[in-house]
Amino acid sequence: MVHFLTQTIWLVPCYALIGAILTIPWSPGIIRRTGPRPAGYVNLFMTLLAFLHSVFALTAIWNQPSQQLSIPWLTVANLNISFPVEISSVTIAAMVLVTGMNLLAQIYAVGYMEMDWGWARFYALLALFECGMCALALCDSLFFSYVILEILTLGTYLLVGLWFSQPLVVTGARDAFLTKRVGDLLLLMGVIALFSLAGTWNYSELAEWASTANVDSRVITLVSLALIAGPMGKCAQFPLHLWLDEAMEGPVPSTILRNSVVVATGAWVLIKLQPVLALSPVALWALVLIGAVTAVGASTIAIAQIDIKRALSYSVSAYMGLVFIAVGTQQDETALLLVLTHAVAMGLLVMTTGGIIWNNITQDLTKLGGLWSRRPISGLAFIVGTLGLIAFPPFGSFWALLKLTDALWSTQPWLVGVVLVVNALTAFSLTRVFGLIFGGQSQQMTVRSPEALWLMVLPMTVLLGFTLNLPLVLQSLSLLPDWAILNKDVAMLLTWSSIFGCSFGSVVYLGGTTWSKPIRTIWKPLQDLLAYDFYTAKIYRFSIVFAVDVASKIIAWLDRYIVDGAVNLVGLATVFSGQSLRYNVSGQSQFYMLTIVIALTVLLGLLTTL
Amino acid sequence: MQLQYFLLVAAALFCIGIFGLVTSRNVIRVLMSIELLLNAVNLNLMAFSNFLDAQAIKGQVFTVFVITVAAAEAAVGLAIVLAIYRNRDTVDMEQFNLLKW
Repeated sequence: MVHFLTQTIWLVPCYALIGAILTIPWSPGIIRRTGPRPAGYVNLFMTLLAFLHSVFALTAIWNQPSQQLSIPWLTVANLNISFPVEISSVTIAAMVLVTGMNLLAQIYAVGYMEMDWGWARFYALLALFECGMCALALCDSLFFSYVILEILTLGTYLLVGLWFSQPLVVTGARDAFLTKRVGDLLLLMGVIALFSLAGTWNYSELAEWASTANVDSRVITLVSLALIAGPMGKCAQFPLHLWLDEAMEGPVPSTILRNSVVVATGAWVLIKLQPVLALSPVALWALVLIGAVTAVGASTIAIAQIDIKRALSYSVSAYMGLVFIAVGTQQDETALLLVLTHAVAMGLLVMTTGGIIWNNITQDLTKLGGLWSRRPISGLAFIVGTLGLIAFPPFGSFWALLKLTDALWSTQPWLVGVVLVVNALTAFSLTRVFGLIFGGQSQQMTVRSPEALWLMVLPMTVLLGFTLNLPLVLQSLSLLPDWAILNKDVAMLLTWSSIFGCSFGSVVYLGGTTWSKPIRTIWKPLQDLLAYDFYTAKIYRFSIVFAVDVASKIIAWLDRYIVDGAVNLVGLATVFSGQSLRYNVSGQSQFYMLTIVIALTVLLGLLTTL
Repeated sequence: MQLQYFLLVAAALFCIGIFGLVTSRNVIRVLMSIELLLNAVNLNLMAFSNFLDAQAIKGQVFTVFVITVAAAEAAVGLAIVLAIYRNRDTVDMEQFNLLKW
């Protein structure tokens, strides 16, 4: 039975896919009478099935050696492409995380999407994401990782564009697709170039190859940079980060997934590629630099946002930046641990704020306030999510960040500074969000604000419980770093940076009337710069979008007037010559005679001279 | 006396005929130019039959035929001119340019 469960683990993505197909009949155009709700229930059932399967498989595979399966896909000439499946505790744990988060998000969505007709589309896309992410976790091939990432890019486009009658949704979905697509295309270049170097796409074989590889450093640097570019777009890293901000136009339950799990798909590929990236010091340096810039930049931007969802989305970018730093300094395990703790805590935070948005309508932080006494469960969930995300012992992320900084302490101390700053900034930003939602006076929008439906509170509290228990779970699985050999100074620094961020945030946003609200920084342009995300939209518009726009206009003009014109010119010349040569037929018979005489003379002249 | 001189005179007469044929505005003068051409041809035929074929004188027989045919042609030509004149009331060649492009 146990063996059977692990051997059929590849069924887990299929459950979700079957669920996605089964929801289609409840589209409003097909079943017109009974409403869309069964679509959600079918999907919930399939996700529950997938979750249980992966949980039992995890218990079976724990402390067992990993197994490999290979499903042949395509054999052409000398190229054999098969779908390798890696059944190990890490991959199945990732599937448990994906299906678990999806289960909670889907229960949440039953409540949140109460007043919506588009359940079939919504749940089908959620199931597509679940399927894609489980398949990504299972597959052991860079090629199929790329395939799945592209399918998920399309899924993002459709899911962000769920309510396509809103203009901002349409532009947001467009940007999400194109930005991620650019990264994916660069990744494809890297994937193809890597095959000619290594001759394989299997991660395990790539790691073997990388351990003894002897390639031109410039080649491997370029390949590695291309391989980084894909996850860079997926994880919303600078400068491909604007899409995550605009993807906040999508429905909240999908945001739960996106913020916690989907952005981690890029990180997953990156972690798996770490042995290859390690061949190039430049690539590792670039990873660290991208991660550090994003982490600091995004966490400062998060502070200046007035939209709840956007304030959280920039924290996601920042934490993915920390994952980049972890991979760049070759700490795979830390990166995986950070992805896990971040997913749980961020999922909880988004669920909480989604519940607030659901019955306060506004997402504007400046119009919320004073909800603590009426929404204690949401408030507690937000606090726990915050503590789970920042480095606050004994919660999850503390251990991940501690492991990260502990390894950085001796090698690259400046990165420890970056982590501390990011941690303090995130602590400040989350405290600010908490203070603006739950603290202060009630505002017009929050005068009457009951706790949300049980369907939304239940997954929130379940996830709250899991966030609280995460350190215990990690300890029982012996995933926590050993306290005895850790640097206690780093732990103290991390804790103090969190406490500093939280307390400063509390003083400013919960500390009564000493600070006038809304708060203005001393220098207005700086506040605007952060609030408008370093004017990234404008930078895009004046650099790459402008260049592509102008180039395409020039090319269209060339096609229309030069290429088409050259061909049309032939026709025009023929018409014109016909029109003008007809005047030879003058109607004067004497002219015809002259022509005959001239022609004969010339002909005779030619004949005689030759 | 040599053949070439006869041929040159005939050619000169032919060229004068061509010039008249192409430049005249009066239809009658065009017909007259055609007669000049035919006479140039006759001159050629006579010269050749004299100098090259003095025994059989086939050229002279040809000339007789050309003269008869020229007479018939001039008659038909004049008839055509008369027919056009009756319709259009003019014999100016530049008025007869109806069949152009």
